[in-house]
Amino acid sequence: MLADDGNLIERLRTGDNVAFEELVEHHAAPLLAVTRRILRDEEEARDAVQETFVAAFRGIGDFQSESRVSTWLHRIAVNCALMKLRIRERRREQDVDALLPHFDPDGHQDHSSVSWRETAEDILQREQACALVRQCIDQLPEPYRVVLVLRDIEQLPADVVAEKLQITRDNLKVKLHRARQALRTLLDPHMRGAM
Amino acid sequence: MSHVTCIELIAFLDSYVDDELDAETRAGFDLHLLVCPSCRAYLASYRETIELARGVAEREEELAHDAPQELIEAVKRVRR
Repeated sequence: MLADDGNLIERLRTGDNVAFEELVEHHAAPLLAVTRRILRDEEEARDAVQETFVAAFRGIGDFQSESRVSTWLHRIAVNCALMKLRIRERRREQDVDALLPHFDPDGHQDHSSVSWRETAEDILQREQACALVRQCIDQLPEPYRVVLVLRDIEQLPADVVAEKLQITRDNLKVKLHRARQALRTLLDPHMRGAM
Repeated sequence: MSHVTCIELIAFLDSYVDDELDAETRAGFDLHLLVCPSCRAYLASYRETIELARGVAEREEELAHDAPQELIEAVKRVRR
């Protein structure tokens, strides 16, 4: 735990309102970025941030002193966002097969892959290109998008994500690989010509 | 895995990228990549895809300096 975190937690434990306001001011923006990525709905994302702070304040006694406050809040925010996803009317699991590579009978790719013209590093320098990548991520069928966000973007450990999504680690691995392949397919036409 | 095809390589590409394959299987994959430009291109773009997804999120966080003030006020009201 950082020294500043320790001081803040102590003040929160004593019910210090100013400490709570400091916590909100400092962490609301990054937490909103997390809940937006998971939910892709502004109103739900903001609700999830509110619920995160409420849950954090109620659970302040459970805070482990070896943790960072930001890590602790991140975990709560992911849980709040996932709860909303479950509550949200479940969309039928869309088929991702159309976005996966296809092969001819002797096991070769039926359409040859070609190299992309620019690296990710170059693409990320341009705001418009970033927006296009974001649009491609949002086009992924929901279960695959969520797995990609939690594993590759939030970089949560596999066992944590499997538990949160109530799937096996093997199933998670398959879903993540398909999600990456599907995203690659969506990006490919843009990246071949460079954005 | 002595003779790897494109379908086998791409099916286990995540394990290859994450270095989860045993030495013999990895050597088979490496051999296939040497002779198959299409799979080399696919592997490179698969890695770029992961980097783009991570990178876009980082860029979004850089731009998200402030949460909307009405959200901050709403959270504070809940506490009061």
